[in-house]
Amino acid sequence: MEKARINFILNGEAVEVYADPSRSLLYLLREDFGLTGTKEGCGQGECGACTVLLDDLAVNSCLIPAGKIAGCSVVTIEALSREGEPDFVQKAFVKKGAVQCGFCTPGMVMSAHALLKENTDPSSEEVKMAISGNLCRCTGYKQIEEAIMLAAEQLKDRPT
Amino acid sequence: MSYVKAANLQEALNLLKTSTPRPRVIAGGTDLFLQDWPGCLIDISFLDDLKIIEEKDEVLEIGSGVTHAMAAGSDLVKYKATALAEACTMVGSPQIRNMGTLGGNVINAAPAADAAVALVALGAEGVLIDCGNSIRRMPVDKLYAGYNHSVVDCGSEILLKFVFEPCKPDEGSAFVRFAARRALALPMVNAAARIRIKDGLISAVHLVVAPVKPAPTRLLKTEAKLCGKPVGEETWFEAEQLAAGEAEVRGSLLRCSADYRKHLVGVLAGRVLRTAALRALERKV
Repeated sequence: MEKARINFILNGEAVEVYADPSRSLLYLLREDFGLTGTKEGCGQGECGACTVLLDDLAVNSCLIPAGKIAGCSVVTIEALSREGEPDFVQKAFVKKGAVQCGFCTPGMVMSAHALLKENTDPSSEEVKMAISGNLCRCTGYKQIEEAIMLAAEQLKDRPT
Repeated sequence: MSYVKAANLQEALNLLKTSTPRPRVIAGGTDLFLQDWPGCLIDISFLDDLKIIEEKDEVLEIGSGVTHAMAAGSDLVKYKATALAEACTMVGSPQIRNMGTLGGNVINAAPAADAAVALVALGAEGVLIDCGNSIRRMPVDKLYAGYNHSVVDCGSEILLKFVFEPCKPDEGSAFVRFAARRALALPMVNAAARIRIKDGLISAVHLVVAPVKPAPTRLLKTEAKLCGKPVGEETWFEAEQLAAGEAEVRGSLLRCSADYRKHLVGVLAGRVLRTAALRALERKV
């Protein structure tokens, strides 16, 4: 498709990009914005490595045409840390050993964030459901589930 | 060559009429994105008009732009169209359910599209509008033209919503599926039922299974034989035999053999009818 101007909010900042609207949001993020934390796994919506938040909902960025995000808010893994300090979900992943090769981790962390935005006291079943669209071939999922439960506990302890 | 996010329904219809090359409507895009793209796309997934979930004059209206996640999370759908809420919980993954719409699920026309199977069991009709503003209504199973083909022309018309009678206090509905995994797996078989119970007897029933034919398929003979039968294990066992006998299924190298699928049709038919009937009984109390 012909290139077009696309305005959207990326990690809290208003941005404008001149891009082919039929390109995937995944490539737009990685190539045009250099945000390579979002990974390409299967490229067809089955592995969840490319998960980002679109208007606070977890989505597969590999299945989203760039044209669709005009006027929307997109949050990627890069938005989570502050001055190099990982956020509470990322720290929980480290603490629980929920990372092995690390390729699925950004997607897992974004799915965890989508869950915790909606539900600050998830059951382990709800955690499993929330990451059911994210494949991990190393950890066996147990540590990831524990990490998200730990992050949820910390969220509860935070002053509101 | 363009991608336009329509600001409202009228703009979308005008664009359909005037755009060149011939445009195509896109909603969630989770299937379309992996296929060949036309040069001009009109995105209707953000239109509020298509996101309604409401009950009006004893009709439940669910917009075609409602995502699977929205339908699965709606109290109205959970209570009055339980089969649809359950089906929507099982589609793809959370990420897919956040983008994929009910309209897309039906128009993509996969034989065992979960939401479509539930909608057929609930007796839903699709309401369509074309770019000349004329409206037509069609039962959801009649929106299928063949395997993975819809009668809906995405270059000239828009599916607005699904309409059907909400389940009454003496009715229940349910959806079940059997797949290799709980997420991100197409079903080997799925089934949905809507059932009405009067004085402990089945007074009306819709039983839908897929994939049997190109569209979700009602097992009409089984339905007819079940009417008037008492609610109970014997009836569900009989339903298993009837359903497995009636459904003519094909095997698939990827998913399962025809024999296994036939067996599953029976098992799931019994299971979905039992669950729907229990719901009808519980609601009365």
